Amino acid sequence: MSFLEALGMEKRFGGVHAVRGLSIKVEEGTIVSLIGPNGAGKTTAFNLITGIYPLDAGSVRLDGNLISGLPQHQITRRGVGRTFQNIRLFKGLTCLENVLTAYDHRLRYGLAEALFRLPRRRSEERAARADCIKALELVGLADKADERPENLPYGLQRKLELARALAIGPRILLLDEPAAGLNPREVEEFINLVRRINGDLGLTVLLIEHRMRMVMSLSKWIYVMNFGELLAEGRAKDIMSNPAVISAYIGEEEVC
Amino acid sequence: MGFLISLLTTTSITIVGVTGVFLITGLTGMFSLGQASFMAIGAYGAGVLAVSWGIPFPIAAGAGIVLSAVTAFLVGLPTIRLRRDYIALVTFGFGEAIIAILNNTVQITGGAMGLMGIPMLTTFPLAFGSAVVVVALAWNFKRSRFGRQCLALKTDELAARSMGIDVDRLKMTAFVLSAAVTGYAGVLYAFYTSYVEPNNFNWTKSAEWIIMVFFGGIGSLSGAVLSAIILGSLPEILRFASEWRIVAYCLIVLAVINFRPSGLLGELELDDIFKAIRHGRKRRSV
Repeated sequence: MSFLEALGMEKRFGGVHAVRGLSIKVEEGTIVSLIGPNGAGKTTAFNLITGIYPLDAGSVRLDGNLISGLPQHQITRRGVGRTFQNIRLFKGLTCLENVLTAYDHRLRYGLAEALFRLPRRRSEERAARADCIKALELVGLADKADERPENLPYGLQRKLELARALAIGPRILLLDEPAAGLNPREVEEFINLVRRINGDLGLTVLLIEHRMRMVMSLSKWIYVMNFGELLAEGRAKDIMSNPAVISAYIGEEEVC
Repeated sequence: MGFLISLLTTTSITIVGVTGVFLITGLTGMFSLGQASFMAIGAYGAGVLAVSWGIPFPIAAGAGIVLSAVTAFLVGLPTIRLRRDYIALVTFGFGEAIIAILNNTVQITGGAMGLMGIPMLTTFPLAFGSAVVVVALAWNFKRSRFGRQCLALKTDELAARSMGIDVDRLKMTAFVLSAAVTGYAGVLYAFYTSYVEPNNFNWTKSAEWIIMVFFGGIGSLSGAVLSAIILGSLPEILRFASEWRIVAYCLIVLAVINFRPSGLLGELELDDIFKAIRHGRKRRSV
């Protein structure tokens, strides 16, 4: 059994059949990519796995445990971290606080301890801050801890989202177009970052990406979606020569 | 002197009430247009216990607070999952329902005649001390994991859920806490004026407090306290202008909203400002 096993996922929005019988399997410790033309249903697939939308049919299992049907925050707490295609950082908070919000579900101090500043709150907060600074250091943002995220350049906001997803304490990381809008140098940096997260931290990664440079250099296995269906799957070099994939992509600007 | 003391006492009570509204509207972005009804529940709960049964003040006050919190929990159960605009509507309806109930349970509450003979036990030190304690508790709440998560769900509920935040539960916590604080403001009010009537607590009161939170800077507790002091005492200070004082009040509020749309302090707290001054660098407000 695979680490992440999404089987026969179905989703309809009114008359639109957004995801049709999609199955994705990700082995522990690997990087797997999900690619496809715009509107193929990739982000919907992510939203189904993370519980943002309920499944019409199918199931999602993480390490053998059924996670589909659980509330969204429970799925996250089981170890499914994600970033968003259109960056969704919390604007009223500093960078460090953004990361802390993702870490908070691990803290145990209660309301009374919060209101009266009891010792457990102090020690847990201190430990949480230290850990979250580490997450910021990993992505190279430790010096921006007290800045507001909306004041950061785009590329750094993407990194901050990654740091926040890491603070969840995830077992698998779902990255939704993390390189969108980045310049070539930032893309290289991001590739190295994902490689480090996968290699050093041993995190499993499921990646949606249009930048072929990133997909090809990172992925062990690639799933190709089109019109909500699985079009092909395979190793990177096999996918690029697959006639069905090429025809689905013809006329698409995203191939570079 | 007596005038000054009474002004300071009522302002302290207003600070307690506005802090309650800050906990819900400032932190989670939910509008409770029936917030004053929690004040009514606190005031009448404690007042009736004291008048009809002669229960001592501390116990009656505690009962008023608990009653407000429990009511908030019951109202929150079906409400808290709704969209924000519906929450505003439901709380509005709930608030008006409470007024109607108070008006019609004449044997217990005195109905529209009001509840009379509540012992005058809210002194200035008690009101001021309460305000300090309540603001300190709210400050600690904001600077804890709860406050952080509230601010997160205020800007982006979906992302907050995706970060493992139990949004519904957290909203309920903030709602109940804010009702408890507002209920306590009601207790203080009842034992200060010794007389309460249902119309003291209708939706205009709730709206007034929400205006104060916005005036001070949404998301800033320091701002909420500051604006409770300014706007709370303004009608008294403007008393010489007799009927024009409401107009002056409105103009001042409009001027602030126009020139500082995010309120007097925006999202900044006092310690942020001190920090910025100490570092000698200019911070642009957000």
